[in-house]
Amino acid sequence: MTRLRKDPRLERARLQVPGTLRLRYDRRGAAAPVRPRADPRAEKLSQIVATAPRLRLDRGQRTAPLSSASQPMPLEAEAPRVVTVENPDFWVLVLADPGDGRLSAVDRQLLGAARILAGKAGGVIFAGEGPPADAGSAGADRLIALPQTPHPEDRAMLALAIADAILPRHILTAETADGGDLARRLAVARRQALFPNVEQISGRGVVRSIPGRGLDQSGDAAPIMTIVPDMILPHGADVREARPMDSGSLPPSAREAELVPPQPGSLPLGEAGFVVSAGNGVRDFDLFRQVAALLGATPGASRVVCDAGFMPRAAQVGASGTVLAADCYFALGIAGAPQHLQGIAGCEHVVAVNTDLHAAMIERAGLAIVADAQPVMAALKRLLEAEQQA
Amino acid sequence: MKAVILLSGGRSAATGNPAPPQAELSAIRLAVGLGAELIGLHAGPAAEAAKPALGHGLGVIRHIPMSGNADISTAIVAEITRIAPAIVLAGNRATGDGETGLLPYLLARALGWPILADAAHVSRDDDGEFTVEQALPRGLRRRLRQKGPLVVTVHPSAPAAMPYAFGQARRGRVDTVPAPSTQPDAAEEPALRPHRPRARIMRGAVSGGSAADRLKAATESASGGGDLMMDPDPEEAARAILAHLRRIGALPD
Repeated sequence: MTRLRKDPRLERARLQVPGTLRLRYDRRGAAAPVRPRADPRAEKLSQIVATAPRLRLDRGQRTAPLSSASQPMPLEAEAPRVVTVENPDFWVLVLADPGDGRLSAVDRQLLGAARILAGKAGGVIFAGEGPPADAGSAGADRLIALPQTPHPEDRAMLALAIADAILPRHILTAETADGGDLARRLAVARRQALFPNVEQISGRGVVRSIPGRGLDQSGDAAPIMTIVPDMILPHGADVREARPMDSGSLPPSAREAELVPPQPGSLPLGEAGFVVSAGNGVRDFDLFRQVAALLGATPGASRVVCDAGFMPRAAQVGASGTVLAADCYFALGIAGAPQHLQGIAGCEHVVAVNTDLHAAMIERAGLAIVADAQPVMAALKRLLEAEQQA
Repeated sequence: MKAVILLSGGRSAATGNPAPPQAELSAIRLAVGLGAELIGLHAGPAAEAAKPALGHGLGVIRHIPMSGNADISTAIVAEITRIAPAIVLAGNRATGDGETGLLPYLLARALGWPILADAAHVSRDDDGEFTVEQALPRGLRRRLRQKGPLVVTVHPSAPAAMPYAFGQARRGRVDTVPAPSTQPDAAEEPALRPHRPRARIMRGAVSGGSAADRLKAATESASGGGDLMMDPDPEEAARAILAHLRRIGALPD
């Protein structure tokens, strides 16, 4: 909208003289309303995208006409209002899975579920490693920093100590290997009811499915619950305080556990966490495979490459190939056809190298590099080999 | 050394035939790998649901007859104490009843034994210490050592069940254990209704807030909002890529 539209009825109502028997309008002093005049020079100034190497204008968006006298006020992003809670009626405790100290997607969903349970009267405590800095925007009122505990029994002892100190009304974990184990240990140790695999949560109750019998079970929110990943929305309504909370003395972790990372080639493509893909822009496939091995990623390919026979069909990423569940996707020389993008719909981070600035993959990517894939692959290989030797 | 495999009575979701879940059959294979004497244990109205396990490497099943809605944990604890195994293996989720996966934990508490969940592999040292490899998502494995006796639940990603052999299934036997005198009723099950498949959430969607907030959250993440490097030096591009991958955690530091 470039020109402000007059509402004639509003204008007429302004001129009306009140309190008379018949409608009377005072049209004496009103100056003619000034129609804001378009300032072509200011408009062109606001459309400049680049001046070097040549002047480039984005005429696609007609900005509101600016008068040359006034400068446009810089729009400050309004600081979001932080909601604080001092003494809630009850607490909901969220126990996060061990990770790298950042808030994962499942942690956000846990906080979303906890906020629904807390409603207006309750508060949410997030207990996890880290603790993460953005837990407040995800809906946590308080934060408890947990030390790294590799052994599941030690984690259960830690969680029991925290739960005894806080006495929450509900405890939430994710239905993952670690979270599900923790929830069941807590339920059995404290003899509390467990409602696992929550798929739907609301103020009225929770719903889970029993797949072996083809049934759904609904019930009230239990003291200990686990949520199925990717079924409950994260919290987005407001920003919470996430004040660090003292949990008292926590039992030290004594037992050791050894984490064995998977062999990079052993995981099937549909389960791999980091995938490197080659497209039409890649010519040297030996180099591509070496780079994939050095990065510790699973190699994938687009349809063009698989049709030409350079990579096996099992490596095809896309709607008719494999739909990825990876966190990170590195695309080399892939333009990004819609079917291919369907295959990476679930990938959170995408890095793309392509010679075409306007390719769909460049738009999708979090880090996009407009360059030829071949020298970039060679440089990656050099850098990684140098690092490995050092 | 004796190993007890807990068998649940459930039906296959696809065919409706009695079939124990794959995790329990993988547990049989793991127990065979340990070189133990295998004893299957099933508590319920009929042993028919557990009989297919006889063809997958199990020689004998002990059946505790109990009514359909009875609480089975005390009876199973009693039977396990009678058998005195070194390890009790179970699938991580049973089929047929509540499917909460809580029973192995209840047994572990009642027996006073440690429990390790989601095993993909179990091995045993000469001095009786078990090494359990837990299956974590994305192919990670966690190795834990524990002295027996212990309870281990088996993850579906453990090695597949031994192939079904009809002759073995016929030779296998089902021993009926005397039913316990008192059968306490299990807690009443809350409301059940037919299953309605629910959709997964969209990436980037959030709940709460105004429509404008939700649209902003959904579209912001879809567009990537990322950095662009135009025609950089290959070396510089490679450094930027590696730094970015390290920052998001795809490459270990």
